Amino acid sequence: MTRSVRLSRISPVLIILGIAITLAIAGEVRPSIYATSVTIGFFSLLALPLGLLYGQGGAISLAQGGFAAVGAFTTAILTVKFGWSPFASLVVSVGLPAILAFVIARPLLRLPELSLALVTISLVMIFKVVFERAERLTGGYNGITGIAPLPIIGVERSYAHWTVWTAVLIVAYCYASYVESGRGRALNAIRVDRLLAESTGTNVALELSSLFSLSAGIAGFAGWFYAHYIGFMAPDSLDPTLSANILFMVVLGGRKSVLGPIVGASLFTLASDLLPGTVTQGMIFGSLLIVILVFFPDGIVSPGMMRWTRRRATTIPEAKNTPGVRLERA
Amino acid sequence: MTLSARDLSVRFGGLQALAEVSLEVTPGRILGLIGPNGAGKTTLFNCLTGVIQPKGTVVVDGVEITQLRTDERVRRGISRTFQTPRLDMNRTVLDAVMLGYTPHLAQGRLACFLGLPSVGRSEEHLRNGAIEKIRLLGLGGAAEDRAGSLSLGQLRLLEVARALVAGPRYLLLDEPAAGLDESDRIRLADAIKNAAASGIGIVLIEHNVGFVSRLSHELLALVNGTVVARGEPNSVVCSEKVVEAYLGPAYVH
Repeated sequence: MTRSVRLSRISPVLIILGIAITLAIAGEVRPSIYATSVTIGFFSLLALPLGLLYGQGGAISLAQGGFAAVGAFTTAILTVKFGWSPFASLVVSVGLPAILAFVIARPLLRLPELSLALVTISLVMIFKVVFERAERLTGGYNGITGIAPLPIIGVERSYAHWTVWTAVLIVAYCYASYVESGRGRALNAIRVDRLLAESTGTNVALELSSLFSLSAGIAGFAGWFYAHYIGFMAPDSLDPTLSANILFMVVLGGRKSVLGPIVGASLFTLASDLLPGTVTQGMIFGSLLIVILVFFPDGIVSPGMMRWTRRRATTIPEAKNTPGVRLERA
Repeated sequence: MTLSARDLSVRFGGLQALAEVSLEVTPGRILGLIGPNGAGKTTLFNCLTGVIQPKGTVVVDGVEITQLRTDERVRRGISRTFQTPRLDMNRTVLDAVMLGYTPHLAQGRLACFLGLPSVGRSEEHLRNGAIEKIRLLGLGGAAEDRAGSLSLGQLRLLEVARALVAGPRYLLLDEPAAGLDESDRIRLADAIKNAAASGIGIVLIEHNVGFVSRLSHELLALVNGTVVARGEPNSVVCSEKVVEAYLGPAYVH
């Protein structure tokens, strides 16, 4: 592998690390910023895998918030009602949504984009009704209170910040690595043209189901973290609107790049914090999305912006040793 | 060792697209497939590759594959090109060709996610192989260009390169020479001959009767989904039904 290939994979990770450090410094000055940064990290964890599934693989999902809720309720029930340790419940919080997603993926992912969006949002609605009705386990509309904070991390905001951002960094690195690999190439082919992907030997159903399952697992992890961080989980905490907002972040930020979902999550969180009233927010978000997509169909961060990196990544052997490449020593 | 299809029939509503078509291609042989537009040539390819499910059976090297998915057939050594090139126009030519390696990718999912060095080494290796095939088809100078910048003829060559890197045992080429200039056509003919010489069985759809009869060991002519002639190229080309189908009844004498 040429150094530049590795660089095109590392650079988004470095940028994210930069964002995390900046937020941490700001958080030390003004502690309330930590609350914002944890929220951004949490949204990013949900949005990044959707970016991979939708932006690279072309399969839309409005279920990320729902899978996060499954992960959150799982740990809430297991730790509060059954006295499990949070680390034991982590396995189930990640595993349950992942397995659930894998099982339902096959029939769903064959659907065209719009139907898939509708079906996945219906799925989240079903989850919500189940949470509301299974009162004995979930506490119904009132939810579950008194979820213990995580050991070590506790209620310390800076620790929470670094936990969630470390997870974001790992997911972003894996995303970027995958896209650079031969499997990433096959995934891209699925988005462009399923017949092309099949005719070049990709098992489309398996590929998309695995990614759908992985996205759900990461969402489950985010939900697990959320439940222990907030200490309370109700059906309204992570509701269907969140799923829609996650897709909004991915599309706004840039569905085809690693940084896109994080940029989307940041803008969304900052705007929610700064703008008054939910009604005004909806209006502004709606207009913003229209304007940005008209001018930048691929979102704010598009692969075109990174084209110089991409070109270097595919340098043919003869040109490999061309001197004067600025990036080489970064 | 053959790729054989027996009694393939396909109906699209009221249209009989294929009626009990059988064919057989052995490694190292080139089977030319001719016939006017709408004769069912591409439909036949779609049956062989599993894109559509026909009546009848498809057998590759003694194993029946009629029920297998398209990607499973690719892993069993059947690769194809498309009449209308299918690829991501925004990627480089090299990237597009490297997609052909997918069925035999040595990169595990986990290794890809972790970005292990083995993935990088594997990619480097594949890249070199792809460049060799790209050069073979005369696209060497365009390896780094966007696929979208190529002409239609060059895109067809690109598809041939992509099908070849998959290391197929049987190669289905859907009008690869359409829109090529003379030098590219010669290069393509050489690539096809070399592929056959290396033991690949080839089925070649082509409208240019001269081109296809020079290359093929055997010709099969389809008209309205039915085989009207098969055998040695010259005799097929001269057969009454083929002349009638291509030029009209007035030319039959």
